[in-house]
Amino acid sequence: MIWLIYTLFFIALYFEVFMFLAFLTTKTEHVASVSTEKRVFPKVTIIVPCYNEEATLSATMHSLLALNYPQDKLDIIIVNDGSHDGTLGVARTFETDSRVRVFDKQNGGKHSAMNFALEHTDSGFIGCLDADSIVDSQALQAIIPVFIDSRVAAVTPGILIKKPETIMQHMQDAEYRLSVFNRFTLSALGSAFITPGPFSIYRTTIVREMDGWRHGHSTEDLEMALRIQDAGYIIANAPGAVVFTGSPRTLRALFKQRVRWTYGFLRNALDYHHMFANSKYGNLSIIILPTALISIFSAIIFFLRLVYLSAQGLYHSMVRWQILGVQWYIPSFDWFYFNTSMIIVLVVFAVTLVIGLIAVGTELVTGQKRIPLGTALFVLLYSFIVPVWLATAVVRAAFKTGVRWR
Amino acid sequence: MSEPVTQTREAKSYTYLYAFLITAFIFATAFYVSAYFNSQRIQDIRSVQDNISTDILSLETQFDLLQQRSCNSISENTILPSELTSLGNQLSYMEGQNTATNKDEVVRLKRLYSLLQIKDYLLMKQLAAKCKLKPIFILYFYTNIGNCVECEKQGYVLTKLAQTYPQLRIYSYDYDLDVPALKTLESINGVENKLPAMVIDGDVYYGFHSADEIQTIVPQIAELEKASSTATTTVKKK
Repeated sequence: MIWLIYTLFFIALYFEVFMFLAFLTTKTEHVASVSTEKRVFPKVTIIVPCYNEEATLSATMHSLLALNYPQDKLDIIIVNDGSHDGTLGVARTFETDSRVRVFDKQNGGKHSAMNFALEHTDSGFIGCLDADSIVDSQALQAIIPVFIDSRVAAVTPGILIKKPETIMQHMQDAEYRLSVFNRFTLSALGSAFITPGPFSIYRTTIVREMDGWRHGHSTEDLEMALRIQDAGYIIANAPGAVVFTGSPRTLRALFKQRVRWTYGFLRNALDYHHMFANSKYGNLSIIILPTALISIFSAIIFFLRLVYLSAQGLYHSMVRWQILGVQWYIPSFDWFYFNTSMIIVLVVFAVTLVIGLIAVGTELVTGQKRIPLGTALFVLLYSFIVPVWLATAVVRAAFKTGVRWR
Repeated sequence: MSEPVTQTREAKSYTYLYAFLITAFIFATAFYVSAYFNSQRIQDIRSVQDNISTDILSLETQFDLLQQRSCNSISENTILPSELTSLGNQLSYMEGQNTATNKDEVVRLKRLYSLLQIKDYLLMKQLAAKCKLKPIFILYFYTNIGNCVECEKQGYVLTKLAQTYPQLRIYSYDYDLDVPALKTLESINGVENKLPAMVIDGDVYYGFHSADEIQTIVPQIAELEKASSTATTTVKKK
């Protein structure tokens, strides 16, 4: 068992190191040079799919209308996807702006709302902004120039948590900064496999060529990205295009969201299994997708091992309490009893690297290295709760139970 | 904020190779760091064992001198060297770590620990006989093979007793340890492989015995001076 743990740990650490090296190479080679001398402003459509979003839609729309982009080149389509609340009413208040169009349709899921808007646009570029997100005014200007490379099918932004308040949100704040690093590096490796809902922009011709969005096991952004990769196009990343997204406030809500994400990954991985270990797809197939899959099972195995050891410790404590009664011990700081096993030393390495990568992600998107408050909680607690939703998703994916957005 | 990034998906073999080398280096470093701390612990244990050996030699010499003199300068509580108990704790911890790198070394140290305990036991018996002292000895035999829950429980009870009565002389032995002197001790006392087992005043008691049961077997325990504060020593549990 211990050798399995070490092997999985080696793979996990190898992946971290690999990503960091790829990042350093990217920075050194400066592959990101995008000409901004000759600015062009092609027409862009931003879809805002809505299902019961009356509370947050207004802020989303105000941020879109504040985008620093020529008015006649910006087309905003709100698609009310059969909401039961006052979403449609809120949406209608924005129709006075010439850039905004509002459509109302029966509920069919996010992908259907996106496809509906696709049918009603002639823009060269099309994107989506979830109605719980707000976008920085310079975001579109940071993204559009990247499409100068005709192979680029989609550009993803740098996503941060919108006003973190709860403990869960602070932890996600740190997690999202790590994701900024990952998204940036994955794009540098030509291996991005998600085009997130908040403000990923696509080349419309390619989206049409691929017959629009699919349900994708409730993760249409992941399915679309895999399809783009399968077709041989590039998914680029512009971390300077900042988007602030809404996030689950509670553990329960976070759990539900992450089960959906993981379920979507697993089911889509099965659908696109031909992209695994197939040199045609380069880094994506050699290391990224296999490691993403292995990491799910590694996290579950690490967690089970931890639960087993904790249960063993608890059992011995209970035997001791039964014999001696509850005793209060003054903690000993004798170095002799400090755990310096190899696995602990490796965990220290890995955690240090993760904190460093959070700082890198933060710098990519904000220009400053200062890590967020939630980093400590993220490092200490997240690894204990993540395996629970991973395991739940694995079981549900195995039985094809399907997952719901809400 | 950073510039956007676009790149082809072509795999660069040197990135894979360098990542492997760096990861291997990190693993090797972790192995070295862990091994370094373990060797420091082994050094600590060796040092404690040296101290105990010196203590015992000193006591033996004192005993030789006492052959010609009076017993005035000695009493029951001369020593169960506190280092001996502390050493037991440290060895127990090292055994629990279960690292392949120092397993043999720990077993070697444990053998020596058992010998030191036997030596202390014999010396105290001689002292007791000459000086008319009545120390209370408990020889405790446990096993690490299988899941001996009763050994664990017995260990806790004896720990508690040792904490309460510091003058109680409890010696714990791993029954399965391959030490000829230990095998002889087991044989002399007729200890069979039905563990846990305790030898008290020449009689062997098998199975778990609570503190009350032990005090019933040896009522003199109650006459011993109680510890003024809670000690932190631990009898090997299993």
